[in-house]
Amino acid sequence: MRHINTEELVDYMDGRVSDQGKLAVENHLSECKDCTELREEIRMLVLRLQEDTTYEPPAELLQWGVSLFQPLLQPSTGGKLRKLIAALVFDTFDQPLQAGVRRVGAPPRQLLFRAGDVDVDVKIESIEANDRITLVGQVLSTTAKFFDNTPVKLESHGIVRYRTMTNLVGEFSFDEVPKDTYHLSVDLPEGQITLFCVHRGNS
Amino acid sequence: MSLTKYKNLGDPELIALCLKGDSQAWETLILRYRRLIYSIPVRFSFSPADCSDVFQAVCLRMIEHLGELKDDTKVSSWLITTTTRQCIHVRAQKHKETSTDDEFDEPADPGHSVEEIRIQSQEQQSVREAVVQLPERCRQLVEMLYFDAKSPSYEVIAQTMQMPVASVGPTRARCLEKLRTVLRRKGMR
Repeated sequence: MRHINTEELVDYMDGRVSDQGKLAVENHLSECKDCTELREEIRMLVLRLQEDTTYEPPAELLQWGVSLFQPLLQPSTGGKLRKLIAALVFDTFDQPLQAGVRRVGAPPRQLLFRAGDVDVDVKIESIEANDRITLVGQVLSTTAKFFDNTPVKLESHGIVRYRTMTNLVGEFSFDEVPKDTYHLSVDLPEGQITLFCVHRGNS
Repeated sequence: MSLTKYKNLGDPELIALCLKGDSQAWETLILRYRRLIYSIPVRFSFSPADCSDVFQAVCLRMIEHLGELKDDTKVSSWLITTTTRQCIHVRAQKHKETSTDDEFDEPADPGHSVEEIRIQSQEQQSVREAVVQLPERCRQLVEMLYFDAKSPSYEVIAQTMQMPVASVGPTRARCLEKLRTVLRRKGMR
């Protein structure tokens, strides 16, 4: 009994064989364990090849990933703004829930980001009634200095959506902005600090 | 260095170039692993917004850990572990945000399905790496047949690859055979 080769199997799976050829392949497969295994192997391989395109990230997301390199690793050169991504060092959502404490709706979220000797404290309150969030924060230094009159920006999908300035003690506020994924950046004289994903999606 | 030369470099070489400030090397790494990273939140059935968040977070972690990755670490395995952890973290956060005191807090990680996702992601990545190892013409044919969103006909493929239409089928079979051989060498079947 002649076994079915890969070409015949692929044509069969693609429906590129005559009715007579199809019947012959099916008859052989019903009796041959080796060819059935080969068909399964080819089927899985073709399936993996075909489904791979479904995992393609959107072009703008890919571009974001590519452009991430420039601000982070390339050393600052004369006149160019130095950029730093702040690390999240504390998040109330990572803390265990307090036993016995009852609440209505989501509690405010408190986050602390750190970049070098600068801390950025952020509190996010969700307003369920109008599907918005209020984001207040303070830029702090480990030294005694205050970051007053400093530009703060809220970006989503690569576009600056909101801008504000810090007050005398480095505080800032974005009131009732629509829920979205936001990156927050603080323009300090030393460089720009980005708080990556300070708020995510529609949560 | 041309783009093709970057494409032919291994991960350790690309990482070494990244650490020297070569943005082209970083772009090549991201392009190489974009589908691997993005596939994991998709397999977790996350929304497109959450998939994007995970992708961004993993890119960021990768750039932060490049220095550690240069030492014999298999980048794909590191990415699968890191992306899976990030997905578990996002899922747990979402669970926390939506849960109330009246609900019993179920663990966010069902365990078994996460392991399945890891295995599927690794296998899918092995197929991607095997395609890259194919001879140029085979790779071109496989990419046209399976990766091209326009799904070109045999006639268009034959014209592009300058071969008779009748040769497309047999060539495809030979290329799939080569792919199977590469995958078997990698211990996958």
